[in-house]
Amino acid sequence: MNRLVNFYNEREHYLLGWGFILILMLAWETLPRLVALPRGLTLFFTTPTRVVEAFYHLIVENKIQHHLYVSSIEFLFGLALAIGVGLPLGLIAGRSKIIDAMVDPYVTVLNATPRLIFLPLFILWFGIGMWSKVVIVFIGAVFPLLINTQEGVKNVDQVLVNVVRSFGANEWQVMKTVVLPNSVPYIIAGLRLAIGRAVLGVVVGEFFGASEGLGYMIASAATNYKVDVVFVGVAIFMGLSLALTLWVKKLETRLSRWRPEDTKAF
Amino acid sequence: MELRAFYQEHYRAILGTVSVLAFIVIWESLLTFVIPLNPFFFTKPSLIAVAFKEQVIHGALWRDLAVSSRAFLWGFSLAILFGIPIGAFMGWRKRAEYTLDPFLTALYASPLVALAPLMIVVFGVGLLAKAMLVFLLSVFPFIFNTFAGVRSTDRLLINVVRSFGGKEKDLYLKVIFPSTLPYIAAGARIALGRGLVGIIVGEFYAASEGIGFAISRFGDTYKLPEMFAGILVLMIGAVVMTEGMRKLEALLAPWKMSQESQ
Repeated sequence: MNRLVNFYNEREHYLLGWGFILILMLAWETLPRLVALPRGLTLFFTTPTRVVEAFYHLIVENKIQHHLYVSSIEFLFGLALAIGVGLPLGLIAGRSKIIDAMVDPYVTVLNATPRLIFLPLFILWFGIGMWSKVVIVFIGAVFPLLINTQEGVKNVDQVLVNVVRSFGANEWQVMKTVVLPNSVPYIIAGLRLAIGRAVLGVVVGEFFGASEGLGYMIASAATNYKVDVVFVGVAIFMGLSLALTLWVKKLETRLSRWRPEDTKAF
Repeated sequence: MELRAFYQEHYRAILGTVSVLAFIVIWESLLTFVIPLNPFFFTKPSLIAVAFKEQVIHGALWRDLAVSSRAFLWGFSLAILFGIPIGAFMGWRKRAEYTLDPFLTALYASPLVALAPLMIVVFGVGLLAKAMLVFLLSVFPFIFNTFAGVRSTDRLLINVVRSFGGKEKDLYLKVIFPSTLPYIAAGARIALGRGLVGIIVGEFYAASEGIGFAISRFGDTYKLPEMFAGILVLMIGAVVMTEGMRKLEALLAPWKMSQESQ
């Protein structure tokens, strides 16, 4: 008995957390077996086992692979574009006061506005194919990256910059040896936010005027009352977001390993 | 010399204004003198200004804005009503934190907007579905920021109140609530952005009125100046609300400005 209590106390954190999720799942699964749901509700109801079943069927019948592929390509293209634009622009805006002041109004306004509002415009300009989604992913993900990079550059230790300068470094060398390494934690934090925005862009972009992709799969399943397929899509997005978030956190610890412990937190 | 000092002091505002004005002038003159304007594909600032005046004065857009705001306010109020108590409970009771944290973190990290089509199918086209969507997206910043705020309450202050014979109620009202308030305000700013996403997605997807619907309808009918006017209205609203939240944050916690949580 005592050992059991010890076992519980040591792992209380995990036991309670996972136990709660497990109980919720079980309740979800058994609810329709315990009480007869009203007919209107059964139409929208599904259980975890049925979701898993639907997932299995979709894979076996090769119905989901293409959607997954399209969504991934859009996500990767858009995010790569956002990194390619946001990172350099953030570095420049962080180093130059003049450019910072000139870019600031656009960044403030666009960052406060949900960029999804441009979706109808992008569909008009780039069509209902892949490119309108790539652009919406890009414009969603670029601002967190830009803002965080700029913040990291601004917070660089001026003494270090002066030391490197005194030894005759040019702007590029200052950037490489001091500014960039110092901004890494900020950039990674920006990347984490950017991934969230990018996934949002993929999902919503594919809801409207698309004919392929996971978002399209969810939207068309919902209109056809295939609730289990909706949850398959939602679960995939959830899993991918969680995996990417964990990966970025790993990346963060890997890239700031050289940093003394007390400066890691910011 | 005085001019120089003036520039030094206000260079940010001056350069910002110059760059926005330059952008508008270049946009306008490019489409007037260089490239012939294709009205089905692009538009220019002068036409947007006319459409903006039209929309704002004759008020079709006001009605859409009112419809959207109502759904937004319902969802946002519900998020406050549920989010803050849940967060406070998690921050104050360790076991509650252990139990709820993994589940809620997983939900917070995942794009719940993917549930939008289902919500609209279940709750119908209208206020309820949109309000639920806003609630679902904006409740998590409230939960987690309240949680962080309660957790970071100064233990010393709590002990002081206890030593002077304060009751549980005093603890909540005199220590925990005031020290959590700035966190909640910061959460509200994040929740605002997410809530706006909820409204827009809900209205793009299926709606018959509202600002998101208006914008997508203008897009479908190739009324580009009107569409840009709608986007402009939404932008102004979003900036005003975000900056308002920032001001509120500074007011509630002047000692920790510019510290981003999340």
